[in-house]
Amino acid sequence: MTAPFLHIRGLRKDYGIVNAVKDVNLTVERGEFMTFLGPSGSGKSTTLYILAGFENPTAGDILLNGESLIATPSHKRNIGMVFQRYTLFPHLSVGENIAFPLKVRRWGKAAIDARVRKMLQLVRLEGFEDRKPAQMSGGQQQRVALARALAYDPPVLLMDEPLSALDKKLREEIQHEIRRIHQETEVTILYVTHDQEEALRLSDRIAVFSKGVIDQIGTGPELYADPATRFVAEFIGDSDFVTCRILSAKDGRADLSIGAGASISGVPVHGTAVAGGTAALMLRPERLSLRREAAREGTSGLSASVTDITFLGSSIHVAAAAPSGETISVRLPFGHEATSGLSRGDTVSLDFDPETAHVFCG
Amino acid sequence: MLLNFDRLGAWKWILLGITGLTTAFLILPIIFIAALSFGSSQWLIFPPPSWTLKWYAAFFADPRWLEAAWTSLRIAAIVTVLSVLIGLVASFGLVRGRFIGKEALRALFLTPMILPVVVLAVALYAFFLRVGLNGTFTGFVIAHLVVALPFSILSITNALEGFDKSIEDAAVLCGASPLEAKLRITLPSISHGLFSAAVFSFLTSWDEVVLAIFMASPTLQTLPVKIWATLRQDLTPAIAAASTLLIIVTIALMLLTALVRKGLKS
Ligand SMILES: Nc1ncnc2c1ncn2[C@@H]1O[C@H](COP(=O)(O)OP(=O)(O)OP(=O)(O)O)[C@@H](O)[C@H]1O
Ligand SMILES: [Mg+2]
Repeated sequence: MTAPFLHIRGLRKDYGIVNAVKDVNLTVERGEFMTFLGPSGSGKSTTLYILAGFENPTAGDILLNGESLIATPSHKRNIGMVFQRYTLFPHLSVGENIAFPLKVRRWGKAAIDARVRKMLQLVRLEGFEDRKPAQMSGGQQQRVALARALAYDPPVLLMDEPLSALDKKLREEIQHEIRRIHQETEVTILYVTHDQEEALRLSDRIAVFSKGVIDQIGTGPELYADPATRFVAEFIGDSDFVTCRILSAKDGRADLSIGAGASISGVPVHGTAVAGGTAALMLRPERLSLRREAAREGTSGLSASVTDITFLGSSIHVAAAAPSGETISVRLPFGHEATSGLSRGDTVSLDFDPETAHVFCG
Repeated sequence: MLLNFDRLGAWKWILLGITGLTTAFLILPIIFIAALSFGSSQWLIFPPPSWTLKWYAAFFADPRWLEAAWTSLRIAAIVTVLSVLIGLVASFGLVRGRFIGKEALRALFLTPMILPVVVLAVALYAFFLRVGLNGTFTGFVIAHLVVALPFSILSITNALEGFDKSIEDAAVLCGASPLEAKLRITLPSISHGLFSAAVFSFLTSWDEVVLAIFMASPTLQTLPVKIWATLRQDLTPAIAAASTLLIIVTIALMLLTALVRKGLKS
């Protein structure tokens, strides 16, 4: 078996008593677009900074092509990075900024000029060569930063929330640019964001960070369809949770009951299910169907009463209260027959395929 | 703006009057001394009966004046270089360092600014007496460095705090060693702070008189000390000429600063 391209192993970082990264394990393939997604303070940036060599890990190792990077100082790691803040060298022109890493590497003048031109072309900023960073918009500056980081063909490109300072429209535009550039250059990218939409749009795989560990790694659809923890379920896509009681559990499936009424069998279960214990049942609003009648005994339907109806253009959002009082959201396409004449206080039955629901224990 | 100048009405004229008076109060002595330096009267009579350049001729003909000016210039130049260098290193420590008592140390570095200069002068005099530095060039430089350094540290720490460390980090990831990144990226980015530090340090030393009187010896005097000493012997208008030259250098430096600031901005 050949060594993985990039391997992060048992990474831990303590700042005094603060445990920023607990235990991060990850392998990344060559050319992959891997995103670190997670809430503020979950250790994404710290992991990236350790990769860049700005921080030393308390424990663990990082292997690139099977060789440890830890002992190599930052400037010899040959890694590219685009930062959250604008980091163009203010006294140098755009062209000189991109040329900087090449000058440091003692490239010849002709080679540098050709490379700078090629990089400007890559980020679609031809003709901006002589501008100073202060004369460029935020989006343009980040594109120059990207060109500078890619100029020396680094094996790995790190990006720490490079678009968080930009407005939504510009952000989406540059996301497309980044995708295109990733495809053109085939560089391996590690990208940090706390915006799930951005993560889903850009990545081959996503590593969901929570409190210093990776909860789950997978493609967007995998994380959405099969979240390993309640945290991942909450973070990717919309979800609601209903308290339920485990009747029995076997082979990763559980039978459960909700309130006095419905009992549901064969729901994928995560964590250790104990018969008789309570757990949280996750429901996705777009996976529920709505019938305008009380659920009958013995079916998998869930009785609820409508508390709110919101028209959202192409879809209609129905909020309903389960008997326990917990809110369940249902999203239905506009014009769906079940929504005509529906009003607050109506009793409805919510049905779902047990396979698409998940139970989280503990 | 809280105050709109155009809408002040009569207040406008009162404000203008106060501003004019203040300016006159600050500037008149300078104009007065400059005028006297060109006056023909031996006794510093104002207004001068007629105009002449003979006091400047006297100044430049007297090797003692020239030597004092040259000493001032040399001390100020060396103080400037040392103050900027030490200020730079200290500022990196104060801004980037992570250690206990950082803020206290920073305040300590600035104390010469608020300490009465006489107190400092007496203390240095007593100390230099022991180590034999009184009346020496080195003693002069050290004394002036003590009062110049706070200005240097103040402007360089300010500039360094306004500089995003991520920019230096980016240079390091680009392949520059930490030192190279500082030299090629960080220093040019804080050049306005270094420049201010240099100008303030130079001026602090250039027109400093209290410490200089304590440090001076009959053979080693700065221009302000020479002016002061001459003033006590005889009231020749050459003093006015020397003072005017002192002021011209100061004003020239201020103008240069303003020009460079403008150039750096655009
Ligand atoms: N230099 C430091 N000293 C002390 N604690 C730190 C330091 N850097 C980070 N931390 C702590 O480590 C934890 C993880 O920080 P990190 O910056 O990696 O989070 P993040 O996932 O990037 O969050 P964000 O989305 O806000 O950028 C946080 O609790 C933070 O307060
Ligand atoms: Mg971060």
